[in-house]
Amino acid sequence: MNGNAQKLDPIKSSETPYEKQLKLVPKKKKSKWSNYKYGILFASPWILGLLIFYAIPLFSSIYFSFTTYSILQPGEFVGLQNYKDLLSDSLFWKSVYNTVYFAVFFVPLSIIFGVALAMMLNMKVKGMAIYRTIFFLPTLVPHVALAVLWMWLLNPGFGLVNGVLNTFGIEGPAWLGSVTWSKPSLIIMSLWGIGQAVIIYLAGLGDIPEDYYDAAKVDGANWYQKMRHITLPLLTPVIFFNLVMGIIAAFQQFTLPYTLTQGQGTPANSLTFYVMYLYDNGFKFFKMGYASAMAWILFVIIMALTALVFITSKRWVHYQGK
Amino acid sequence: MDSTKKKKLGQYSAHIVLIVASFFFLIPFLWMVSTSLKPLTQIFTFPPEWIPEPVMWSNYIDSMTYIPFFTYLKNTIIITVLSTLGAVISCPLVAYSFAKLRWPGRNILFIITIGVMMIPGQVTMIPLFLLFEKLGMVGTHYPLIIPAFFGVPFYIFLLRQFFMGLPDSLREAARMDGAGEFRIYWQIMLPLAKPAVLAVGLFQFMASWTDFIGPLLYLTDSLQYTLSLGLQQFQSQRGSEWGLMMAVSTMMTLPIIVLFFFLQKTFIRGITFSGIK
Amino acid sequence: MSKGKKKMKFELFIFVFILSMLLAGCSSGSGSSGSGDGQTTVTFWHSLTDTTGDAAEAVIKAFEEQNPDIKIKAVYTANQGEGQNEKLLTAVSGGNPPDVAYFDRFEIGSWADQGSLEDLTELAEESGITKDTYYPFAWEEASYDGKLYGMPISTDSRLVYFNIDHFKEVGLDPNNPPETIAELEDAAEKLTIKDGKRFERIGFIPWFGQGWLYGWGWAFGGEFYDPETKTVTANDPKIVEALQWMTDFAQKYDVEDIAGFTDSQGDGAMDPFLTNQLSMKVSGPWEVSAIEKFNPDLNYGVFPMPTPNGENHTTWSGGWSVVIPKGAENKEAAWEFMKFFSGEEGQKIFSEIARDFSVIDSVNEELGYTEDPILGEFVKILPVSNNRPVMTQGSLYWNELASAVENATRGNGTPEELLENVTEKVNKELNK
Repeated sequence: MNGNAQKLDPIKSSETPYEKQLKLVPKKKKSKWSNYKYGILFASPWILGLLIFYAIPLFSSIYFSFTTYSILQPGEFVGLQNYKDLLSDSLFWKSVYNTVYFAVFFVPLSIIFGVALAMMLNMKVKGMAIYRTIFFLPTLVPHVALAVLWMWLLNPGFGLVNGVLNTFGIEGPAWLGSVTWSKPSLIIMSLWGIGQAVIIYLAGLGDIPEDYYDAAKVDGANWYQKMRHITLPLLTPVIFFNLVMGIIAAFQQFTLPYTLTQGQGTPANSLTFYVMYLYDNGFKFFKMGYASAMAWILFVIIMALTALVFITSKRWVHYQGK
Repeated sequence: MDSTKKKKLGQYSAHIVLIVASFFFLIPFLWMVSTSLKPLTQIFTFPPEWIPEPVMWSNYIDSMTYIPFFTYLKNTIIITVLSTLGAVISCPLVAYSFAKLRWPGRNILFIITIGVMMIPGQVTMIPLFLLFEKLGMVGTHYPLIIPAFFGVPFYIFLLRQFFMGLPDSLREAARMDGAGEFRIYWQIMLPLAKPAVLAVGLFQFMASWTDFIGPLLYLTDSLQYTLSLGLQQFQSQRGSEWGLMMAVSTMMTLPIIVLFFFLQKTFIRGITFSGIK
Repeated sequence: MSKGKKKMKFELFIFVFILSMLLAGCSSGSGSSGSGDGQTTVTFWHSLTDTTGDAAEAVIKAFEEQNPDIKIKAVYTANQGEGQNEKLLTAVSGGNPPDVAYFDRFEIGSWADQGSLEDLTELAEESGITKDTYYPFAWEEASYDGKLYGMPISTDSRLVYFNIDHFKEVGLDPNNPPETIAELEDAAEKLTIKDGKRFERIGFIPWFGQGWLYGWGWAFGGEFYDPETKTVTANDPKIVEALQWMTDFAQKYDVEDIAGFTDSQGDGAMDPFLTNQLSMKVSGPWEVSAIEKFNPDLNYGVFPMPTPNGENHTTWSGGWSVVIPKGAENKEAAWEFMKFFSGEEGQKIFSEIARDFSVIDSVNEELGYTEDPILGEFVKILPVSNNRPVMTQGSLYWNELASAVENATRGNGTPEELLENVTEKVNKELNK
């Protein structure tokens, strides 16, 4: 992990001027500090923030994961018992399955749709401000309202979606009422709210210098070639970001399914996601120790996936800065 | 001549695609607005009706007296504005340091920054609460504002990606001119990352504006409450006040829509390095 | 020149930073807890909105008039979702809870077991409050291990609502609603209209709304908990029978087809009974207010949940209470308020405005609830109502039973083995 992040180091290309400077200044130690000074100074708010607002909560949660802490009582130290119990907890595995299922489909789809939407919204067309605002709107509707709306649209017997499918002679599934279709339904719903990722892509597209396109135009490149050889490669730092954040968010999926099923994960636990089960353990069953153990298992899973993304990233992420 | 015709055709087809897609994305919002204008008896009818009859403009007035709307609005604005300010000041600074400056421990710290996002907030919520309790800040707006000034990992990571994309040659040129690190950051790098910084501002604004669990846990006096807590007050087992709730929801989205409408222009301007060089 | 200007800009930036921190400070003037002139302030956290909120306000006003030395500071604390009280949980763990909290009685067992509620037994004895005043289930649910931890405030019960117009339309007698399970099935079949695979109307869905296994299990004569051995008995053959009946129902109507209805429990949102798409539904008295709000023209009646032999009709009741969380500052003043709230006078004020049933039978009678053709039925059944077992794992048991119904009706396992698993899992946690 460490070595790999090193490879992401963007400074490499700028090494020469630094070294030149070093050679010019006689007192090496002092100059090193003066080089580092600004970096640490600039990062200092966050270093403090990490120490104040993250260190204690994170370390306590590691400790809790080895105890029977219940929020209301400190509990006893039980070693690895919580972790052992999790392995034989069938609902835990069910929640892992549901979450992985969701992530496997949602993360790639959200990237494809997000990039496509962003490109669409980056066209030079009149009234684009209005289009952009419209595409952003679903992210603003409160979850309670979204949940009701979706139950309405996806109602198997009376809903709008099946009504439309019916006119095309397709018999729609029971959507949220069906064990098979509940997760796909949720994936579709979640895709509706990717406005935030689209904004990030848009900002990324805005960062691509016009010069490149001008040059490509001179070379007679068509739309596809421009996208393939300029837009996509230069968007990779942002795609990389959205991929990592998409994985983290997908594995921590909570609010929408929780609101939608009133915390029950219906039907038949097919919408019981990892953090929903974690939440129930921590706040409903007074098993915060158990929930903390779940959190750290989740950490390991996401960390492993993120590491994988980081390792492969050097092959496909292109920083203009280099 | 032929190419202008082609261009026009392209414009039309673009509009058609955009309009069709817009329709899908408008549904949730239209539903919210339509519900906000309905009388209660019309909200749950079958088949669903989209046009309110009669149009209940009074829902908007009633919702403002049902909850202390302006008190909540004031609190929400204070928290949102200050935490947004905090995030846009601290995050670019830290992100720039991660992307462009060299110092020992930087990469490890960057990994930790991403790592802390992987632990669900549900398990750190209680220890964090106890921390603020010890600091004597429970029952004030502080816990909802101060952390943003120290940086938010999501935004730091996002901005780092953008700074990584800026050529180092710009920095070197400025250094040759004798500019200090602060000046390089403030005068050259930060302006170039403006679209991303504005996006961060927008995200933090939205997050604060709609945050529910934070105000719920940390505020202990209804005079300090925010709109998202007010939204809950429309819910009840005997049939929630859907019309009023959606009226407040609609009003809550308006500032964000306006903000977005004006901010989105900054995303369209492609930056040209040649102009700066 | 320009350099100096830029430097100024940077300083301005630091200045804004500090200024905004200060501003944050000004905006956050925290409320004072104590007040002068010998008045004690009792903080009271509740999740009461709408009419129940007005009712609580009226109770507080009446109390303050009688007790000028006590001031009640009521704070609305949203309850997200069902019953879980994150805010109270964090406040208790932080050692700074309110003096009184409005609290779901269902959770008293587990919170008392965690040592997070004040024992009220002695205070009640001193004040001469006995269980005889209240419905037996309400008192029982407020007690744990022989000690009293909460003062009951409100209650409810569950009955089957039916659409009178639909009954008339298919030739069922609305004055003679189903009493046995067989009659219920028969009515459901007559009321259902199916067009191909799509339902136009559904007669009844046993598990919809408040059709939890608790209700049907008791209707079939089962018992969910053995207080002697302190173990759960979800595998009681009568409960298995009840779940088997639900499962058969699901298979007959094809559960996927009707599943769309079951996704929208509670809140009056998308309630198919309100939109005339469902003819019968198990629900509580609050449904009356929802109907008044969303579909005042609905012509409906209620009947007790049918039983296999048409006798021994029963139901179950939940409801709210007031408790003193551990670590509260003003216990004595808090108790005065609780005594008033749960006493006859407070109950009368609250119940009348809130339209929530009182936990005192005579109050319900006095307020005329027994006279009401609909609400009267709910009150009438209260004396024989059940409460969910008071135990440390109440929430887990609840969730497990709900999953068992979900899985059984979808054919993921037989009722018997599913309930056997529930029993085993919950008992394992109870023995920890």
